Amino acid sequence: MNNNQLSKPATGNSKWTKPAIAAGVVVIIAILPLLLTSPYTLHIFILTFIYTIAAVSLRTIITSGQFPLAHGAFMGVGAYGAAMIAKWLGWSPWLTIPLGGLIAMGIGMLIGYPFARLRALYYAMGSLFFGMAIIYVIWAGGSWTGGYSGLTGIPPLFPIGTSKVPYYYFFLGLAVVSFLALYRFEFSRIGINLKAIAQSHLVASSVGINEALYRVLAVGVGCFFAGLAGAGYAHYTLVLSGATFSFMATLWLVMYVLIGGVNSFIGPIIGTFILVLIPEFARDLKIYVPFISAGILLIVVYIMPQGLVSLPQLIRSKFFERGKSEKVTNAP
Amino acid sequence: MELAIATSTNFLILSSMYILVALGFAFLFNMLRILNLAHGAIYMVGGYIGLFIISTLGLNQWIALLLATLIIAAFGVFLEKFCFRPFVGDFNRVVMVCVAIAVILQTAVNIIAGTKALALPPFVEGVFKAGLVSVSYERIATFAIGAALLGVIIWFVNRTKWGQQMQAIAQDKDGAALQGINVHRISALASFIGCGLAALAGCLMGAYLRLGPYMGDLMLIKALILVILAGIGSISGIFVAGLVLGALDAALPVLIPGAASDAVTVSIVIILLLIRPQGFFGYEMEI
Repeated sequence: MNNNQLSKPATGNSKWTKPAIAAGVVVIIAILPLLLTSPYTLHIFILTFIYTIAAVSLRTIITSGQFPLAHGAFMGVGAYGAAMIAKWLGWSPWLTIPLGGLIAMGIGMLIGYPFARLRALYYAMGSLFFGMAIIYVIWAGGSWTGGYSGLTGIPPLFPIGTSKVPYYYFFLGLAVVSFLALYRFEFSRIGINLKAIAQSHLVASSVGINEALYRVLAVGVGCFFAGLAGAGYAHYTLVLSGATFSFMATLWLVMYVLIGGVNSFIGPIIGTFILVLIPEFARDLKIYVPFISAGILLIVVYIMPQGLVSLPQLIRSKFFERGKSEKVTNAP
Repeated sequence: MELAIATSTNFLILSSMYILVALGFAFLFNMLRILNLAHGAIYMVGGYIGLFIISTLGLNQWIALLLATLIIAAFGVFLEKFCFRPFVGDFNRVVMVCVAIAVILQTAVNIIAGTKALALPPFVEGVFKAGLVSVSYERIATFAIGAALLGVIIWFVNRTKWGQQMQAIAQDKDGAALQGINVHRISALASFIGCGLAALAGCLMGAYLRLGPYMGDLMLIKALILVILAGIGSISGIFVAGLVLGALDAALPVLIPGAASDAVTVSIVIILLLIRPQGFFGYEMEI
C-alpha cells in the first residue's frame, strides 16, 4: 500500500516533451467526434472521461497513504446532491455541477477528520462501511432520492434533443481541467507533504507535518473531483440509481487505478481507457464481457507488477537490455 | 411471541453463518495478510454447487453438502497455490487478483444458472412445536450444524498441532518458518478450511434463504465487518463481533423498515470502529 515514490527526474529530452505529448493526445481525442459520429461511441467516450476524473482523484487520495473504498459512493453524493438541487430547487445545472463537487468535498472532509484516527486497512474498511451507509441512505430516502427505483426527471445540461457532441467537449474539457489541477496539486508543497506522510507518518509528523490536517485535505480534494464527476454524470444520464455507486463501482474505480499503475499520474487514465473501452468493443459477446475485464486484470497482475505504465520499461528490459542487470523492480 | 421467536432464531442463524464465513476469511488474512475479496463469490459458488449436485446428479442433500464443501475446499488449495502465494505482501496485486476471481466466478454462475433466484431444498422437513413455541426443524438444523462446526474449529485451532502451527504463523511468519513449520503447507490447509467453511455456509444459507449470483457481495461485507470489528489477528473476537452483528441484523429490520435499518447497522459499526480504531481484540497493523 505504501509504495508511492517521489517522481523520478525525467530521463533526457527537454522538459517540454511530456506536456507536448499530453497536448497532442488531447488534440487527437478532440478531433475524434469528427470521425466517429455514432452516438453510442461518443456515449462510451463521455462515460470514460467521467470515470477518468474519478479514478485520477482517487489516486490523489492514495498518494497520501490512505486507501479509500468509498470513492464510488462520493461520486454518488455529488450526483444526488446536484440532481436533487437541480430538480427540487430548479437551479441551473451549470451551477449544480460545481456545487455537487463542493457537497462531496464537505462530506468527505467532515468524515475524513474522525477517520484520520484509522490507518492502513482499518481506514480502508472504515471508508468502505461509510460508502455502504451512503448507499443505504440513498435507498432509504423515499421520494427525495427516489429510493430503490431511482431518481428521474433531472434537468439536462444542454437542452433536450442536443446531440452528444457538446457533452463530449464539455466532459473532455472538464477532464483536462481536473487533470491539470490535480497534477499541480500532486507536485505542490502539499502533495510532497502527502507523499511524506504515506512513506512514514511518524517521520512526517516529527518534522512538523500535521498528519491529520493533510490527510483530511487530500480526502477533500479527491472527493471534490469525485463529486464533480458524479454531478456531471447525473446531468448527462438524467437517471440515477443507488446501485451505480455501490461497492462494486468503487472496486472498479480502484481497479482502474491499480491496473494503470498507482505510482504514476498517467496510470489511472490509461487504466480507465483500457478497462472501459476494450470490454465495450467486445460488447457483442454480451454476458461474457466481464470475462474480458477479468482477463485484463489477470494479465496485468501476473505480467506487469507495476501496472500498465511499466509496460515500456518491461519490454525494454526484456528484449533490448538483456545483458544489463537493470530489471523491472517489484514492489519496493 | 411469534415475532420474538422468529427474531431470536434469525439472530442465532445469522450469527453462526456470519461467523463461519468470517472465520474462513480471517484464517487467510491473519496468516498471509491476504484480503480475500473473492470470499463472498466462493461462498455463493458453494451454494450453487450444492444445488447442482442435488438437482442434476440427484444425490442426497447431506452428501451434496459434503461434496460441495470438499470441492470448494480443494479449489481453495488451488487458489492459495496459484493466486495468493505469488503475491503475498503486495496488497495491490492481491486486491486485483481477488477481484478478477470474484468477477469470473460471478459471471460463470450468471451464465450457467441465470440471475433468477433459486433455492436448495430444505435439509430437514417439519416443524418443532412445544406449547406456544413453533420453530421449523430446518432452522434448528442450520443453527445446530453451524454451532457444532464452530465448536470443532475452536478445538482445531487451540488443541491440535496444525491449529497451533496456524496461530504461530499468524503471530510471526518468519519465526514460525525458523521453527520448522512448513508455512506453505499450513497456508494451503488454512485456505482449504476457509473456503470449505464458506461453501458450507453457502449451502446452508441457500436452503434457509435463497441463492442468487450476487448474494456473496453482502456476505463479504458482513465478513469484513466481523474481522475489522474483532481486530486483525483475533479469532475469539470474531465470535463477539458476529453475535453483535447478528443481533443488529435480526432485530433492527423489525423496528425500522427498509434500507434505513441497514444504514443504522452500518453507522453503529462505523461508530464502534471509531471508538476503537484497532478493533476490539486485535492490534494495529501496517500492510
